[in-house]
Amino acid sequence: MDLLSVPSPSALLLALFVVGYLVLAGADVGLGMLMPHVARSPEQRRRVVASIAPYFLASEVWLVAAVGVMAGMFPELEHLVVARLWPVLVVLLAGWLLRDAGLWFRARVDTPRWRGLCDTAIVAGSWTLAVSWGLAVAGLLSGGLSPSPFPVLCTITVVCLFALRGAAFGAERLVGPFEAESADVAARATRSLARFALGATIATVLAAPWSGGPSPTSLGAAVTLAVVLAAALALTCGLIGPMFSRHTSALAIAVPGLLVASTAGLPTSGLPGTTAVFVWSMLLPVVPVMLLGQVWLYRMTRRPAKGATFFA
Amino acid sequence: MLEDPLALARLQFAFTAATHYMFVALTLGLAPYILFTQFVAVLRGDRSRMLSVRFWGGLYLVNYGMGVLSGLVMELQLALNWSGIQETFGYTFAAPLAIETMTAFFIESTFLGLWIFGWDRMGRWAHLFCFLVVSLTAYGSAWWVLVSNGFLRHPVGFEMVDGVAHLTDPMALVTNPAAVLAFLHVVTGAMTVGALVVAAVSAYHLRRGRDEHGIFRRGIRYSAIMMCVMPMLVVSFGGAQFQIFGQDPPTSGLTYTAEEIATIEASGGGGLVAVANLTGDVVMMTSWAVMFFLGPLIPLFLPLLSARRGRWGRRLGLAPGPELFSRPPARWIRWALAPLLVSPALPYLASIGGWVYRETNRQPWVVVHHLTTADAMTPMSPAAALASFTFFTLAFTVLAVVTYTLLFRYARRGPEGGPLAERRADAGPGADEPAAPVHTF
Ligand code: HDD
Ligand code: HEM
Ligand code: HEM
Repeated sequence: MDLLSVPSPSALLLALFVVGYLVLAGADVGLGMLMPHVARSPEQRRRVVASIAPYFLASEVWLVAAVGVMAGMFPELEHLVVARLWPVLVVLLAGWLLRDAGLWFRARVDTPRWRGLCDTAIVAGSWTLAVSWGLAVAGLLSGGLSPSPFPVLCTITVVCLFALRGAAFGAERLVGPFEAESADVAARATRSLARFALGATIATVLAAPWSGGPSPTSLGAAVTLAVVLAAALALTCGLIGPMFSRHTSALAIAVPGLLVASTAGLPTSGLPGTTAVFVWSMLLPVVPVMLLGQVWLYRMTRRPAKGATFFA
Repeated sequence: MLEDPLALARLQFAFTAATHYMFVALTLGLAPYILFTQFVAVLRGDRSRMLSVRFWGGLYLVNYGMGVLSGLVMELQLALNWSGIQETFGYTFAAPLAIETMTAFFIESTFLGLWIFGWDRMGRWAHLFCFLVVSLTAYGSAWWVLVSNGFLRHPVGFEMVDGVAHLTDPMALVTNPAAVLAFLHVVTGAMTVGALVVAAVSAYHLRRGRDEHGIFRRGIRYSAIMMCVMPMLVVSFGGAQFQIFGQDPPTSGLTYTAEEIATIEASGGGGLVAVANLTGDVVMMTSWAVMFFLGPLIPLFLPLLSARRGRWGRRLGLAPGPELFSRPPARWIRWALAPLLVSPALPYLASIGGWVYRETNRQPWVVVHHLTTADAMTPMSPAAALASFTFFTLAFTVLAVVTYTLLFRYARRGPEGGPLAERRADAGPGADEPAAPVHTF
């Protein structure tokens, strides 16, 4: 049975957390990946970190929540994910740790060497995260990782989607008083990344039927989602370019999550009623606070901080 | 031992949990103090108290960072290395953790972000509200984690359906004495951690005669009150936990028969685990005893630090008047304050000792009378276990050392040099005006 074929509220909740994570964290992880490309001077690098800083905490909690929901409400699913992806998840965790450590520690010691070290951790950690996500998506779609073209192509696609999301985010957030080059570099990158991602998507789709690819439980959903992805990317690389890339990249990066949820045949049966009632009755009263916090944070930090903050 | 994945996974869990708890205990202990100080500061519009909030808040954040890093590893590690628990007890053990991730962590981190970035962008009361939410959710998080942990110690409220535990009684889960008492004991213990860290940092600055804003006099006052009250509560709730000892959980027998349980318990345990258990117990109780007797001595400092110079104060050449706090105090006062500098070691030792005691008590079970530690572990190759153990142990050691170095550094620098300290617009006149228009996309 699929996570979203007969959507129970709990399955929707899990899918929401995963997709929310991809869309929100995709921006700050992607910008972390692109840091060497968009930021050349120390001040530019500081500004990149300053644009990531307000969001990384608030976006990674979506993943923490997803892991919690999976463990408490879909233990069978968690068992399967861990069994299939153990090494990938360990690497993902290591990358996450590395990246967050770089972000937390960067502004703490005022020397170029220290900042260089932390920037390296941020960039390396962001790449590790994106690649691990690519492998995880490939592994879940095709029922395990095998050395064949499909997982490789699928991973490349997902990595491109992260980078594209980061570029779109950078094009918007790196605009500043003195130097707009970072923003311009990021804006230009959206086009080339979208083109590359489109190519990778097409290659992945072509490879899917034969080389260790998935056997989707719902071919219709898989095709629809692939078309949505291709259309979003095509728009970004051709017609509208950087201007709407904020929305198209969000749509694009949501697709892998939705694909896994609706076509990978994940086991989601059997959540006993008492546990569901217990969890939901604790959760519902705080949903407004969860929303309030996220919306408030994103609205408040729409403009970059004037001076230095805790992180950069 | 290095070829035994089980030993490695257990050691790794113990090490990460202990590290996580070191940071979490300070979070829990410091949050109420910061919240209270910020409340008074906002209420009275008091600038010196706001400086104090920025100072302790800076330490809080540096500490919090490592709390998050280690927490992430805890969460994922539970899923990765201990999938046996999830398989059988997902709906019972992990459900409170699921609630926690959504109702506590999610909100805590978001509102902490608001607090960090909101200093100049929101009203004073809104900013205070953000920290209120942060504090409440920090305690909420500790509560739900301990509901999970209490379930391991004293499993209640479920039935077995095809080898999977199905929750039947959520009330039993949240009123589990092994969770409620542990929560109260952990919270009061964490308050002693917070109080003595505040005392140590305050003593450091008072010894140097640097307290222009009264931040550290107030710190000593706070820890004096706390250290008179908390040790009593800690021992009451700790002592109450002994009631669970030797008690079979109400669900005993659902998985194994009494004979099987006896066989498993006879074959497990012993050796190193028993030694760790005893050590944990002795360390916790000894530290408590020292704190219990030292606590009531801290109020003796209060007259020494009073800003009003009484007759005795004048005669002893000590106290102060406002000018004292910009010049080192008499030598004997400096000596008298010295023990406070190392006092945080006591509650930290007690906390780690207490956890080692509790967790090793449970052996050879992960879930008492239902699941053994050996059966709970994810099957993995020795090489994979060793690689994961080595990486995370090394990474944690490095991160913890860096965090403590930073904490010491910022604690010593005082209110002017903290990571949240107000930065002056130092470029002289005209610095406030934006240099160029800011584009927005
Ligand atoms: C500042 C910290 C601190 C201090 C001073 C004490 N403890 Fe403690 N103790 C803890 C911090 C702690 C802890 C870290 O918070 C533990 C681990 C798990 C728990 O519930 O609390 C704990 C566990 C714990 C347990 C539970 C063991 C189990 O469930 O298997 C007992 C029975 C006690 N303690 C008893 C005491 C007594 C009688 C104390 C005083 C003489 C004492 N503790 C002082
Ligand atoms: C934060 C403070 C904690 C410390 C210092 C701590 C310490 C330890 C120690 C020493 C062990 C090894 C026991 C042995 O091998 O004999 C252990 C194991 C374990 N603990 Fe904890 N623990 C803590 C909290 C928790 C919490 C809150 C949970 C669950 C929610 C938990 C779950 C486990 C599990 C699943 C194991 C592995 C199985 C085992 O060896 O029993 N621990 N912990
Ligand atoms: C006695 C045991 C524990 C207590 C009291 C506790 C409490 C806390 C608190 C207060 C925080 C906030 C961060 C900080 O302030 O430093 C935190 C963070 C965290 N803890 Fe624990 N915790 C415990 C054990 C565990 C366990 C067993 C897990 C794994 C299941 C875990 C997972 C996490 C995670 C994922 C975070 C980071 C959440 C975020 O992004 O804000 N903790 N914990």
